[in-house]
Amino acid sequence: MITRRTLHKYLMGTTALALTAGGPGKLLAQERPALRIAVDNLWRTMSPMNGLSTTGNRININFYETFTEVDWFNDDTGASVVPKLATSWERDGNIWRFTMREGVMFHNGVEMTAEDAAFTLSEERYRSEEAYEPRGAIYTSNFVRVEAVDRYVLEIETDAPDPNMPQKLSGPQAKIVPKDYYLEVGVDEFGQNPIGTGPYKVTLFRPGEVMTMDAFEDYWGAPAPAASLEWRIVPEYAGRIAGVVAGDYDFAVNIPFDQQEQVRRFDDVVLVNTTAPNYVMFAFNTRPDPEDNPLVDVRLRHAMIQGVDMDTIVQALFGDETFHPAIPFNFPDYGDYYDPDMVDPHPYDPEAARALVEQTDYDGQELIWHITRGFYDNYETAAEIMIAQWAEIGINVRMVVVDNFSLAYQRPFHLLNMSNGTAFIPGDPYQPLWLDWNPNSTRASADWKVWDPTDRFVELGAEFVRAVEFEERRAAYLALSKEWQDVTPGMYMWKRLFSFAHRAGINWTPSSGEMRMYGDYLRIT
Amino acid sequence: MEFWLARTVRMAFTLFVVVTLTFVVLRTSYDPVVAMLGPDATNREIELFRERWNLDKSLIEQYLTYIGNALRGDFGNSFRDGRPVFEVIAERFPYTLWLGGVSYLFAVLIGIPAGILAALYRGSIFDRAIMVVSVVGFALPNFFLGILMILLFALIWQVLPSSGASSWEHVIMPAFALGLTLAGILARFTRSAMLEVLSKTYMLAAQAKGVRPARRALFHALPNAALSVVTIMGLILGNLVAGTVVVETVFAWPGIGRLLVSAISSKDLAVVQALVFVIAAAMVLINLAVDLSYRMLDPRTRRST
Repeated sequence: MITRRTLHKYLMGTTALALTAGGPGKLLAQERPALRIAVDNLWRTMSPMNGLSTTGNRININFYETFTEVDWFNDDTGASVVPKLATSWERDGNIWRFTMREGVMFHNGVEMTAEDAAFTLSEERYRSEEAYEPRGAIYTSNFVRVEAVDRYVLEIETDAPDPNMPQKLSGPQAKIVPKDYYLEVGVDEFGQNPIGTGPYKVTLFRPGEVMTMDAFEDYWGAPAPAASLEWRIVPEYAGRIAGVVAGDYDFAVNIPFDQQEQVRRFDDVVLVNTTAPNYVMFAFNTRPDPEDNPLVDVRLRHAMIQGVDMDTIVQALFGDETFHPAIPFNFPDYGDYYDPDMVDPHPYDPEAARALVEQTDYDGQELIWHITRGFYDNYETAAEIMIAQWAEIGINVRMVVVDNFSLAYQRPFHLLNMSNGTAFIPGDPYQPLWLDWNPNSTRASADWKVWDPTDRFVELGAEFVRAVEFEERRAAYLALSKEWQDVTPGMYMWKRLFSFAHRAGINWTPSSGEMRMYGDYLRIT
Repeated sequence: MEFWLARTVRMAFTLFVVVTLTFVVLRTSYDPVVAMLGPDATNREIELFRERWNLDKSLIEQYLTYIGNALRGDFGNSFRDGRPVFEVIAERFPYTLWLGGVSYLFAVLIGIPAGILAALYRGSIFDRAIMVVSVVGFALPNFFLGILMILLFALIWQVLPSSGASSWEHVIMPAFALGLTLAGILARFTRSAMLEVLSKTYMLAAQAKGVRPARRALFHALPNAALSVVTIMGLILGNLVAGTVVVETVFAWPGIGRLLVSAISSKDLAVVQALVFVIAAAMVLINLAVDLSYRMLDPRTRRST
């Protein structure tokens, strides 16, 4: 039977044959396929930091480039970085010197220089009162000076020695933007018509509908393997799956875990699951707000940790695709910092949990758990099981599922869903442990804040930030992690999963949540 | 003249109430900042966003500014991409017009003749079959029908595209999913209206005069049943708007229905407000058109106004 898919295949085959017959030559754009990707959403702006989001980062890595890049192809832990727009670097005390790649062009035909790299990380863009993208401030908080000292050489001075700068400059804050164009159009316009140095250039962006990109012919590296990319929103997962099966799309993102068995039945479709540098969790509201909040008692929080069998829940919901990190911050993503033999101080033990509850003044008061509907795959299902297990140790929790984070953040609540990234410094526990829990973090300073960091935590955090040598830094990390666990302002549930489906005939390596459509990551047969 | 003046004042008042209610409900029911900036937005970002969109002003100040601008035809800019909202809407409107037009045409061309035939052959198997199909069409939620069609025509048989709007083939499934419900409604109402007219004594008189059945149905019964049918045709345009919200989402059709859904979920208040205004204005105009058609169809309404 001739279907749309088979007809498409025959036509592609005939075209390929005709091109081959024409003899070898330079790979022209029209010889490469145009790829269509069905996505669940597109963020409203594509400026690197104002548009910082799962749906933005998934795409913008194809048109922006960073100083260094996480090498997901050779190291799937995400702990290794390789040179990208910076070719070499060296540190002298508090000063890092980066040499930028020569001959790199922005999509508007202007050459990228150290001036652009310096502007990308500048005070003007991230840290000043009138900063264009103020979220960059927390990622560059230790920067004292950023200066182009030569056409291709850049210096970054920090307030104390920072051994992790090359790793940090693989992150979203280090996506290099063209200074003149950015200043000319302003950040809002830039976010709608972004320009970078990547293998694809943006040709159309309609938030809420579509983004298209063409291969950038003046790209400094290997040519993009696709002539164009079209990222189109297909809100319903059924539509996304059907689109790939029927051949309307080459890729689809975000395939719910409970639908994956069905997708695996199609021979022409490949399903790819990958874990993200991000842990799904819930936070305890540890503050006396509401006044009668029983969770101010740490024993009750520890009881709740010990009262749920998270390993079994995660296994039941996700099989072997992901795991429950029993000990907070002892994550496998951390290379040498990770200790697989570390002993869990609060293992699943319902008897011990019940005994802890009895030691407290908890009188069976209902605890409210705010959950954002459908934001994390399987979260509501896990919550139902956890609530049942908490009921068995005498703790009464009710989940309140709301439509968005604005509503989830509205007090009163006792537990709050959230997740925690780990990728700010690849291979180092800085982000989840300090960046996201320190006194200036949103968790400790926003209207919805869930904890007040202890003096000891702040003191240990400062020591951790100052630590340069590995052994010193590891000791500081362990002490800081222990203090966090003594307080326990939350529980890490599982490492987040991202799922994709693509048609057969494509060899694609996922890079966490990013969809890199270039280099070794994408091979089309 | 009096008719036109009264209608214009009523229309303006209706739109004013709609704009005001929408403004107050949207601005007081939720805060767009977290939805726009994401859950990890810093306090400084939130502050800047509020300043940028005047959300730091009092509700009354925001309202007066909004109304003042709206009277000049400026409904503000999208919080999402900063473009004027009518530019965003104008981009999507042709798609909804296309889908809505095909669906409506389908509903009218199928629903009205089916209703007439069902009435003329009342009680026959033909009548019952039409009514069963129209009840099924009316009762099936269009999201369910849409997903079912995707499953059959795109996933299993692979004869139609699953989603999108880039060719005429793309409109077939969404137009059918949307039009079937409307055709079902029209068929049922047309049948009822025709049955009522067919029982009148002037129809008996026409038959006694020897007027042929087809002529009796088309020139004697149908014009008299038209008042009810036209009313329903106007009302189902409202259903059409509601239906596009669902069908456009299921089929990833880039029209204003989906724009409304995505604007609501991302809390793009300016776009939601403008869309509600556009939809309300369309409904008011449709009602006006229906009233005018009454005056054309029924001379008694001309005399009474």
